Amino acid sequence: MPSPGKPMTETVSAAVFSHPRWRFWPGMLIALSFLVLVLAGLVSLLQAAGSLDPSNVLGNRYLRGVVTFTVWQALLSVLMSLGLALPIALALARHSRFPGRSALLRLMELSLVLPTIVAVSGIIVVYGRQGWFTSAVSAWLPDHGWNLYGLNGILLAHVFFNAPLAARILLQALESVPEPRLRIAAQLGLQSVWLWRAVQWPALKPVLPGVIALVFTLCFTSFAIIMTLGGGPSATTLEVAIYQSLRFEMDFSQAAILALIQLAICASLWWLAFRCRADTGLLPTSARTPHLQVPGWPGQTLINGALVGLFSAFLLAPLVATTARGLPALFSPEGLAAIQNQLLPATGRSLLIAVPAGLGSVVIALLTLAAARQSEGRWHSGLPVVTGYLPLIIPPLVLGTGLFILLRPSPGTPSEGWVLVSLINSLMAVPFVLQVLRGPFLSVDAHTLRQADQLGILGWHRWRWIFWPLLRRPMALGLAYGITLSMGDFGVIAIFGSPGQPTLPVLLYQQLGSYRVESAAGTALWLLALLLIIFAGLSGLTRPKGVFRTIQRRSPYA
Amino acid sequence: MLEIRQLSFCYPGQSSGWTFGFSVAPGECLAIQGPSGSGKSTLLGLIAGFLAPDRGEILWQGQAIHNLSPWQRPVTSVFQDHNLFEHLDVFTNIGLGLHPGMKLNPEQASAINQGLTRVGLEGFGQRRPGELSGGQRQRVALLRSILRRQLVLLLDEPLTGLDTQTRSTLYRMLTEEKARGVALVLASHDEEDRRVLADRHWNL
Repeated sequence: MPSPGKPMTETVSAAVFSHPRWRFWPGMLIALSFLVLVLAGLVSLLQAAGSLDPSNVLGNRYLRGVVTFTVWQALLSVLMSLGLALPIALALARHSRFPGRSALLRLMELSLVLPTIVAVSGIIVVYGRQGWFTSAVSAWLPDHGWNLYGLNGILLAHVFFNAPLAARILLQALESVPEPRLRIAAQLGLQSVWLWRAVQWPALKPVLPGVIALVFTLCFTSFAIIMTLGGGPSATTLEVAIYQSLRFEMDFSQAAILALIQLAICASLWWLAFRCRADTGLLPTSARTPHLQVPGWPGQTLINGALVGLFSAFLLAPLVATTARGLPALFSPEGLAAIQNQLLPATGRSLLIAVPAGLGSVVIALLTLAAARQSEGRWHSGLPVVTGYLPLIIPPLVLGTGLFILLRPSPGTPSEGWVLVSLINSLMAVPFVLQVLRGPFLSVDAHTLRQADQLGILGWHRWRWIFWPLLRRPMALGLAYGITLSMGDFGVIAIFGSPGQPTLPVLLYQQLGSYRVESAAGTALWLLALLLIIFAGLSGLTRPKGVFRTIQRRSPYA
Repeated sequence: MLEIRQLSFCYPGQSSGWTFGFSVAPGECLAIQGPSGSGKSTLLGLIAGFLAPDRGEILWQGQAIHNLSPWQRPVTSVFQDHNLFEHLDVFTNIGLGLHPGMKLNPEQASAINQGLTRVGLEGFGQRRPGELSGGQRQRVALLRSILRRQLVLLLDEPLTGLDTQTRSTLYRMLTEEKARGVALVLASHDEEDRRVLADRHWNL
């Protein structure tokens, strides 16, 4: 053995980024920049709003109607989504092993990763006037009076997107019930009401305020669904009204007031949710299959089976429709020409925006987490992470509106607009990427860091040997999130984008708007396939062997 | 000589803390005794630089080291657990102790392999800590500390829960370190550890 006094260890001063300030300042500067960006956007909104007289809105019947309708459809969407999600989650929690369960969970994830505009095109094929479902119902009930456009379609689409999300989060809560509690419930033979009171409700209660706030915000700030299925002034939401004020009426003052109203409602809701100690992830992160069965009531298995079957069909139908319509459309002579003339250029533009947005969101999330850890215990410790979650409270369209007003008459060129879209998309993805990275990042615990400190594993070496092996996979997943959320964006791009140089979602919207249903189906399938390839390629790296990770959700701003 | 002079520390939010004062000569083992919560681990944390003292000094060979970062001190530690990076293999765990970027020269790589053989872990270099028993993990941790050739070795319950054979191996390794002039500071509840290793006792 070597003797002391003749050091075998190397000096560590050469490690790049060794100083602790590198763990703190980049994340803190990003947080501060984001705050400044948000404040600049809000100030420009306030300035544009002029005297900021809410009576202008309250006295305006149309705008009053818009606010009322926005809240109303969001409330109904929450009720319906949770009304469906709860029994589905309970059924899936009870039946932890049945053929197709994991496929259903995947399907639920798939519906979450779908860009809104793609799913809407599928929903139109199924539930539209000539849709599969509508035609089938018409054969039995000729006077059903169903019309997809309007509140019906909005609610249907919102439930399609949010019921699986809510069900996955509720299922995760149910699956996190401690095994001993399940054992006691099984031993006591608790059923129905008592099982609910003793086991299920205590597990669901902490996550419900967060789920409600999340679903409400997503429905409240819904844009693409309202644009495509809204059906005119009687079914318009604040987001669409803001968009119309900016793009068509050029009424910045009205856009500013509407944006501020939207911000006030979203912020109040999240404030309330946090007051209720909202304890929920934005994403279901992992599935643990419980092994213990508790007794059920007679016929429960049958009813649960029917429920799960119908729910699967509900999720599957628009996807099947998109594929069935899209394949012939893509491989027809016109379709092949469209690939070359429209889809490839639009894909290029989409990737040009989405890849930097995805990379940006991962880098921002990592630096945010590092800054939060480095400032732990100090007064500013919460700043980076709180700022990281700001996009949930400040809808992207509101931020976009503020920046639009701030920067006018620029951004003049499409490329300037794309840079802004990419930046906003990247910020908007940060809460979700943060959610993916936070657990693995925090798994590098105090013991590990203490060891690393003593061994002088600092700066670049610390990243290479401590963080990178643990974060490599989650980072790939976060990148997949960032890219897919941005690829599916049809909110911010609508403000800053140029109709003459559309991204894939914008192209799809244009095709839907001009009733080119076949072309739209082809574009939807193209976009869907592209997202799946990107996602499968990146998330394949993230899935540890034998562990089923649930992932993805739809864009919060599409 | 490791000297601790009027070193005081109080955790934030607590009304009372500790004040420590002792010295340990090279080649000597000082056993710190005291019940749980008496400040043994806190003391070792202060010497290692994981905690910052409120007042007082830590000197090594007359030079103040209490203002240095953990990696700048002539100190290495072995704890009861959490000594290894779980996601890295044994060889890398030890190698990172010799160069924080794993740029090992042939002499260092050879020293690691020889060390593994010596502690009965030949062929274990590619295994992860999760694949090792508690005793094997402690042998890896101690081997890393030894190969780092630091001058002060802090031991925080390093042998707790280990079987007799592993303890004997570790006793032998630690005794050899003492013989080579390393100052040992041992915090242990176990009377046998103290009897075999300690030259002096200090009660908290």
